[in-house]
Amino acid sequence: MIQKLASKIHPSTWWVISLALAVIAGSATSIVQTLSVAALSVLLILVFRENAPWARSLKFYLILALAVVVIRVVFRIVFSFSQETDDILLELPRFELDFGLGAIGLLGNVSAPAMLGALLDGSRLAAIILAIAVANTLANPRKLLKSAPGALYEIATSVSVAINLAPQLIESFARVRRARGLRGKGRKSSTLNGLLIPVLEDTLDRSLLLAASMDARGFGRKSTQSKGELLLARVLGLQSLLAITMGVFVLLSGFSAPAAMTLLAIGAVTSVISVRLTSRRNSRTSIARTARTPIDFAVIAACSVLLIVHFAWAVMPV
Amino acid sequence: MQCSSDCSLCLGGDAGLISLKNFTFTYKNGDEAKLNRASVDIKAGQFVLVCGATGSGKSTLLKALVGLVPHFSGGTASGVRTIDGQDFSRAMPHETAHLIGYVNQQPEGAFVADTVLEELAFALEQLAIGRDEMIRRVDAALAATGLSELRNRKLFELSGGQQQRVAIAAALSAGQKILVLDEPTSALDPLAAKELLEFVWRLSRSEGITVIVAEHRIERLVGLVDSVIIVNNDGTVSQGEPQTQLAKFKFVPPLIELAHQLAWPKVLLSIEHAAEEFARSAPHTTKRIAHLPLGSEVLNAERVTVDYGSLRAVDSVSLSAKAGEVIAVMGENGSGKTSLLWALQGTGNRGDGRISVAGQDPATLTATERLSVVAMVPQQAADLLFLPNLGDELDEADEVAEAKSASTSQLFEQFSGRIDPSIHPRDLSSGQQLALVLAMQLVKNASLVILDEPTRGLDYAAKKQVAQVLRNLASSGKAVIFASHDVEFIAQSADRVIQLEAGKVIADQPVETALEYRADNSLASQVAQITKLPGVIALQQVVTNE
Repeated sequence: MIQKLASKIHPSTWWVISLALAVIAGSATSIVQTLSVAALSVLLILVFRENAPWARSLKFYLILALAVVVIRVVFRIVFSFSQETDDILLELPRFELDFGLGAIGLLGNVSAPAMLGALLDGSRLAAIILAIAVANTLANPRKLLKSAPGALYEIATSVSVAINLAPQLIESFARVRRARGLRGKGRKSSTLNGLLIPVLEDTLDRSLLLAASMDARGFGRKSTQSKGELLLARVLGLQSLLAITMGVFVLLSGFSAPAAMTLLAIGAVTSVISVRLTSRRNSRTSIARTARTPIDFAVIAACSVLLIVHFAWAVMPV
Repeated sequence: MQCSSDCSLCLGGDAGLISLKNFTFTYKNGDEAKLNRASVDIKAGQFVLVCGATGSGKSTLLKALVGLVPHFSGGTASGVRTIDGQDFSRAMPHETAHLIGYVNQQPEGAFVADTVLEELAFALEQLAIGRDEMIRRVDAALAATGLSELRNRKLFELSGGQQQRVAIAAALSAGQKILVLDEPTSALDPLAAKELLEFVWRLSRSEGITVIVAEHRIERLVGLVDSVIIVNNDGTVSQGEPQTQLAKFKFVPPLIELAHQLAWPKVLLSIEHAAEEFARSAPHTTKRIAHLPLGSEVLNAERVTVDYGSLRAVDSVSLSAKAGEVIAVMGENGSGKTSLLWALQGTGNRGDGRISVAGQDPATLTATERLSVVAMVPQQAADLLFLPNLGDELDEADEVAEAKSASTSQLFEQFSGRIDPSIHPRDLSSGQQLALVLAMQLVKNASLVILDEPTRGLDYAAKKQVAQVLRNLASSGKAVIFASHDVEFIAQSADRVIQLEAGKVIADQPVETALEYRADNSLASQVAQITKLPGVIALQQVVTNE
């Protein structure tokens, strides 16, 4: 039931949830907030995760998040900028180091507010990591790629095939390493030729096999498109790149904000037209439902409400 | 070439004809043609077997039919390819993807999606078929292949046999009427292989699909095919009736060899007919298998257990092997054969148990020390090879083993004859690679020899050679253990058969008992099924009465 619901949610919706949580975590002002974001993220992952290779990484995200908090707190204890006098939690000997660039204080008194600040900073980062983990573990990368526009189809397919090949690469690495162990170490054997060459040869063979199989199943078919249309698409693509580059340049130089905005808008519109035109070259369909459903819109709306409440809370006079 | 969803060719009544005319193909650096003026003509709905020696160009012929040769192989090709009467000589594979489906040797390496549904839809997506029509066609393909219950399963969760079926269904999901299969059973255990071929045959008959299949183990197919194509080593190709074709083919299964041996007037292509003929014709004497007298114990393993995380791959296996003994380890894919062999060799994972080879535990030795105790040939022998030519590989092996110079090359010569040392090891045939790795591993005269699936991809002649090498090793006082699915090879080479199931030994029998004819024995060899005599499993046991 839950698994079914999870598979119905569009992968981009998971990213919306993920980013909303990350924004809340990033602007959190209390440990309670960061902890709730972290807890909510972990809860989402535990409830909705599928049995898939990309869904098994929660452990690593948790370790990373914990490590971030610990490092932040340890740094706060080791490098103290000023000597505190109130609310002392821990009294440690203080060292002053001076390399001619101003003194650096090591250790010394650690106050409760400083500890709390370090914990907040660390947990904020940890919560952002866990929020991103939501999308990384729940959004099926292949489905996300499927919703890429037709012009990017080849690239999207290459990426999704690469995702497929990664576990095979690890497997052939383990296999070759085991076979290497049979031969002992000689003058001519090194990591490069003993391990990498067989693995690379293996990977190359597999890739060629896969490419042949994909072509035999129709990958690479193109519909006819007039030369004029193709040329127009390419010219527009180049033009949009130029417009965006100039727009960014004008924006950063502070010359004129309206001019910059106009250039960026032109660039955006022409790039969309160009991608649309190129997409028509690839006449393909997809079995995956890539359109968003009402469930997705409901979830996105809920995220927006959450964000509004969060920021309204922040600016409200207490 | 355009195809719309209402294209008459895709669903046409008489679709499924394919032919090559005077097709010649040469690899870029090759001096000899891999295919030499090859002509084949396959009728709609036929079931065609393609056979030939290892490296003869069987796969090349199949790829030429699909268009992958020359477009994916480089090299130069000439000749005419037609499908359903239309000329596709210059067409890329994707241009004929709606007409012909292709499944290569390792379907698991050719999957593009992660669920069965999406895998089947891939070809339809490329043909730009609308979503509703696509789902209708995928479901029809699943129903026709009996895979409906797997529709939403993940591909990596399926067994090898199921993966093969999904690959076949995916190759036919766009209504293709021609299916080209390159050694579909090479990685399957005997039962799964039998089921798969029956599945393909039923599919061909019920859906009127033309099937062209290359297969080393011809015995699995001889009774089913309408036509046989033989690819000769010089690249020429002949096509004809199974009976006449197989009567002249050199690399034949025991079924046909027995007919030759007993001088039957004609070759019989089904086990049933051969069994009738055997029962009817004059009585034959049969011999016992000549086992060698056993020497001292070489290997003693007690309660060996191998765990991978929570998965128990090998569960408390005890076995012993004596000098002069050849032991075959059988079992379904995933039954723990490979894990057991690597544990015995000493470098594999071993949780519990005690192993002693010639008095030493191989796990405690260094790689060089181990070479004088145990030799191991892994499933992919080429994994051990990394130097640019054969001569360097042989020298390196001497040096690593601290053996006299040229001792590896002498051994290698014994196994496979003299070969130009400047050749790249990757250009050796699979049989030669196996011989090379065996020579490297045996250079220190190890007393235990372990091989993991040594006959994968070998033709009958090469298999006979390997069987002979194993027998010779045994008679020189070594103990040999190998894992295999290949019943006919085991009948030729082994003394004892150990069967594994889920990591446990379920049977440890003399080979005559394991492979003999019994109503419930799925491992009975062809000779056993034909003679129906207790303890008769191999050709050399059957003798004509003079």
